[in-house]
Amino acid sequence: MSFFNSLIPTIARAESSAETNPVRRPAYEVTESENAYGLTVSLPGVAKEGLEITAENGELRITGKRAAKLPEGAVVLHRESSDAVFELVLEHDTTVDPSKIEAELKDGLLHVKLAKAESAKPRKIAVG
Amino acid sequence: MRLIKYSNRSALPATHFGGRLGGLDIDSELDWLFGNIPNGFAGSVLGGQFPVDLYEDKDNTYVRAELPGVNRDAISVEMIEGSLSIQASRKDKAGDSESTASFNRLVAIPDEVESEKVTAVYENGILTVTLPRKEASKPKKINVLVN
Repeated sequence: MSFFNSLIPTIARAESSAETNPVRRPAYEVTESENAYGLTVSLPGVAKEGLEITAENGELRITGKRAAKLPEGAVVLHRESSDAVFELVLEHDTTVDPSKIEAELKDGLLHVKLAKAESAKPRKIAVG
Repeated sequence: MRLIKYSNRSALPATHFGGRLGGLDIDSELDWLFGNIPNGFAGSVLGGQFPVDLYEDKDNTYVRAELPGVNRDAISVEMIEGSLSIQASRKDKAGDSESTASFNRLVAIPDEVESEKVTAVYENGILTVTLPRKEASKPKKINVLVN
């Protein structure tokens, strides 16, 4: 429960960097299983070279830069997407084991598996 | 406890219920407000719609669609009378449950294109469709003699 409470992204930080460097928060979804949390982040246009994931001080930070791929001399007729850098910051306190984080980027969708720290796994208590 | 997705709806008037047409279906309005839309992750994020960019240079018109994580074989691109139809679907597996989200959009193409030479590439979740323009619609220089 506390993990979900602390998953509220640090909105204040995103606002302060928005003036100098346009940044937008990607869509994401968190699921939970017995041993791990699953995080899916939508990062269209981001390739492995433009992706950066860091986990420190109880904060998981995901940054994605889009690989611009337009031919020379093309003129914009209609634009709905944005070239802003994706940034997602999630706090996780001590429920996640930072050394066991696995991530896979496929077709613009990032799947992160965050293994729960031993202390956070459900423990059966024997009744004497 | 479910995570409630924050979405910035403050730009819409209070009675506007997020753009839903007609009716005062309270149950589904509350479902929507609490992020329970049946399309799962993809649906609540994109609502079956996806951002599309339209570009052109002197030889081609380009359509670029953001479609992260869709199944390559489920992408269908068709030219229908001067409009480009893009359809795609994505399967989301979350533990034991599986949901399918589908996307559908018709994009009007401003110029005449050579339908047989249209190509599409899907990379990093972005579908880029290249539509070669017909000779007649390419910009042509016209020489004007001034007396």
